[in-house]
Amino acid sequence: MTGIPVLSIIVLAPVTAALLIGLFGGNPKLPRAIALAAGTIALMGAVWVFAIYDRVAGGFQFAERVPWIPSFGVSYSLGVDGISAPMLLLTALIIFTGVLVSWNVEERPREYFALLLLLVTGVFGVFAARDAFLLFFFYEMAVLPMYLLIAVWGSTRKEYAAMKLTLFLFAGSATLIVLLVLVYWQVGQGTFDLAVWSSHTFPRTFQHWAFLLALVGFGTLIPIFPLHTWSPDGHVAAPTAVSMLHAGVLLKIGAYGLIRLGLTLFPQGWGDWALLIAVIGIINIVYGALCAMSQTDLKYVVGYSSVSHMGYVLLGLAVGGTYGLTGAVFQMFSHGIMTGLFFALIGYVYEKTHTRKIAEISGLMQRAPLVAACFIIAAASSMGLPSTAGFVAELTVYVGVVLKSVWLAAAAFVGVVVTAAYLLRVLSHILLGDPSEAVAPISDAPPLRFAPMAILAGTIMLVGILPGTLYTIIGSGVAPLLQRLAGG
Amino acid sequence: MGSTAAAFTYLWPEIIVALTGGLILIADLIWPAPAGDGRSRAWLAYLGVAGLLAAAMATVPDIGVTKTLFGGIIVVDSLSAFFSFLFLGIGALTLLLSVHAVPKFTRWIAEFYALVVWCTLGHMLLASTGELFTIFITLQLTSLPLIVLIGYAKLDPKSGEAALKYLLLVLVSTAVLIYGMSLVYGSLGTSTISEIGAKLATSHDIGTVLAIGLVLLLTGFAFKITAAPFHYWVPDTYEGAPTPVTAFMSVGSKFAGFALALRIIVEGLKVPLNWHLIFGVMAALSMTVGNLGAIRQTNIKRMLAYSGIAQAGYLLVGVAALSSAGVASVLFYAVAYALANLAAFGVVITVANATGSTEIKSYAGLAKRAPLVGLACAIALLSLGGLPLMAGFMAKFYVFLSAARSGLVWLVAIGVVNSVISLYYYLRVIYEVYVREGETESLFVDRPAALAMSLCIAGVLALGVFPDYALRAANFAASALFR
Repeated sequence: MTGIPVLSIIVLAPVTAALLIGLFGGNPKLPRAIALAAGTIALMGAVWVFAIYDRVAGGFQFAERVPWIPSFGVSYSLGVDGISAPMLLLTALIIFTGVLVSWNVEERPREYFALLLLLVTGVFGVFAARDAFLLFFFYEMAVLPMYLLIAVWGSTRKEYAAMKLTLFLFAGSATLIVLLVLVYWQVGQGTFDLAVWSSHTFPRTFQHWAFLLALVGFGTLIPIFPLHTWSPDGHVAAPTAVSMLHAGVLLKIGAYGLIRLGLTLFPQGWGDWALLIAVIGIINIVYGALCAMSQTDLKYVVGYSSVSHMGYVLLGLAVGGTYGLTGAVFQMFSHGIMTGLFFALIGYVYEKTHTRKIAEISGLMQRAPLVAACFIIAAASSMGLPSTAGFVAELTVYVGVVLKSVWLAAAAFVGVVVTAAYLLRVLSHILLGDPSEAVAPISDAPPLRFAPMAILAGTIMLVGILPGTLYTIIGSGVAPLLQRLAGG
Repeated sequence: MGSTAAAFTYLWPEIIVALTGGLILIADLIWPAPAGDGRSRAWLAYLGVAGLLAAAMATVPDIGVTKTLFGGIIVVDSLSAFFSFLFLGIGALTLLLSVHAVPKFTRWIAEFYALVVWCTLGHMLLASTGELFTIFITLQLTSLPLIVLIGYAKLDPKSGEAALKYLLLVLVSTAVLIYGMSLVYGSLGTSTISEIGAKLATSHDIGTVLAIGLVLLLTGFAFKITAAPFHYWVPDTYEGAPTPVTAFMSVGSKFAGFALALRIIVEGLKVPLNWHLIFGVMAALSMTVGNLGAIRQTNIKRMLAYSGIAQAGYLLVGVAALSSAGVASVLFYAVAYALANLAAFGVVITVANATGSTEIKSYAGLAKRAPLVGLACAIALLSLGGLPLMAGFMAKFYVFLSAARSGLVWLVAIGVVNSVISLYYYLRVIYEVYVREGETESLFVDRPAALAMSLCIAGVLALGVFPDYALRAANFAASALFR
């Protein structure tokens, strides 16, 4: 393509900014400016990649490759296909808006932005890596700053939530280490190159167990029932931008990793466990929605709704086929944007009212109509209403499921009903009625605070109304995977 | 005579180190300190550092050489050179960390430095001995100075208690060792390790006596490398010893044991015992006992003691692989662990110098009192926990990679579960450092310790991001064992 190493720029801009902040971030206003600059660079790069990516040719593009640790056969190898390009765009959107949302962080801004950017480098790296070791390296790098970000800047039982999240995620990654070393020797070519791994055919039994390892390891991150309990606690305790990144992007790493190291490498193993994944997916959808229904804290509602929505991703991955897989990836993108918007909104409300109790908030519509409008857009996407991204995603997944089994679809459909129920309950309470006492100090967000909400809400509508460009790029990424699954 | 003289040229590093220790004492006699002014003795430590660096220079020609001296008593090869660099580095860093800490508990400063230097000599020799009775003597050379060093803070009863405990341990482990040696010698009629290997390779029938002898030999080393179930002395000794001594022995003495064990194991392998299982079980026990023990600690020295037991377990995972790659991973792990652990102890020493406390709760607010020390603490502990960007990540991965190659998947599984457990207690300290509010007045950090910590942290990050050079060095050194 072009001579510019655009992927390296996207991946390394945040960590470079983190270093700059560490070195020169003494001035309290400087860190956020540097962070915004890095976010802007990454966003421009990601939009460029998304726009330029050759959907007809498909495959991995923008490839870069430099030997890194020849002793292990590891190279710094980057590349994007139709699955990772949307993920890069999602991450870039979330970090760009996340920096804007964090604009007024007053407590230790230097450490805050440095850690936030370190985390984002990890996330970008995971989506761009074409080497299993590199992918894993970036993945752990993304998890590491989470602990401090939650423990220092968080709220609500932050010490407990931070430790729980960290231990769960590292337990997941411990499983992945076992997977990596096993596959490395099984392939036996002294390389972690995913291209080599993906063209290797693994023995039947090996696939069976290796896929299970991938499912547990990445599933912890997705999060699959019953390994999900860290996730709502973590969402709630984290500061706003971290919640956005966490629910918006980090959970997608789990699903993405499962696609790359699970489905792609072990198609037969996928076949063995597909039914289990489908069942877990439905439990996630229904159980997550039911849990969301009984919450009193706004953030917990969104936290459990994430468990529920990631169930659609699992369901799509379980049934496979063009619609199932495309829908799963589409849902990853749309849920990321939607949940990012939710957390940005709740963060704003919490900042102004100092409460997240649903019972204490009402009448937002009167006090802050624009914020309320964004709430409605996010909820519409969450419920899967037409003209939002969530509609396209869930519809595609359902088509895939119905083609496979009507019963599965019927079971999953319960989730749609419950989702609508809890969202309408929450929305009617916080938006309608007379403004409550707590809501008194709130008014519509100033332009700088409204910008992130507008960007995310706009993306939801844009993707909902014109899904074509996202749909085709995902389709081009899913096509080789389909062949591999069919061949396995 | 000529050949003997030539043989001594290979021993220049050891000779320089031995002389450095003496030089420190003589210099102290010629230019005595004004009474009560411990600080003015810093230059003696720098003299020691210079001597150790000179010895490191003298070690350079040994790389790539394979030489057996004095009829097999001393083996000079890339492996011994690798360990020499490691032990010289550990000795030098310990001296730097001691400069401000030692005058706080003793007036006899020059002797302290000299003992550290001589103990380093013992470590270096242990890495290149090729004969059982020389091993016995060099072991004494490492143990005796260490006993004195542990009891150096003679006004602190804990220090004396620790020294006594270590003395008893040395007696017991020496007894076990020498019993094992006599059984091996009695069975095979030779005490040279290479000849033992040769005889083992040709004889088909291995007697019970010989097997018991070999196992006893390894038990003797297991004490030294703080492997479970021979670890009971570790927490008390580590806690009671003066902190610079704890730092020194937590890596120096441990790796000396490993250096020696590696040489013997490679030859001992020819005995048809299930060595994978023996070392695997020892590794699994050490990791689990160490990590579970560390969780409950409230004193950072005890916590690091238990963490050291666990780290010995990870090192043993590499040993259990019983391959060239396994040995290489042990070597790389040793470097990564030494750097991170010395940095962590640098923080402990700095905090103890300022506050007099080694309780974990006295670390509250450290990041605000001394931001760079707080950062060093976090990086060192995260490296010990095996997180990326830090050397510990690469080291753990390499150990697991080589163990998996030898089919020890169960051991890898136990290892990764353990590294998750270990994160819990490392993160708890980081929580104190970064999150908990504590005292706010800034903390004094002395220059030599700051230098030592900076070097360690730079090394930890360099190995964590660009490990390849060190990996190749480790592979090269390990291949010397498997000619």
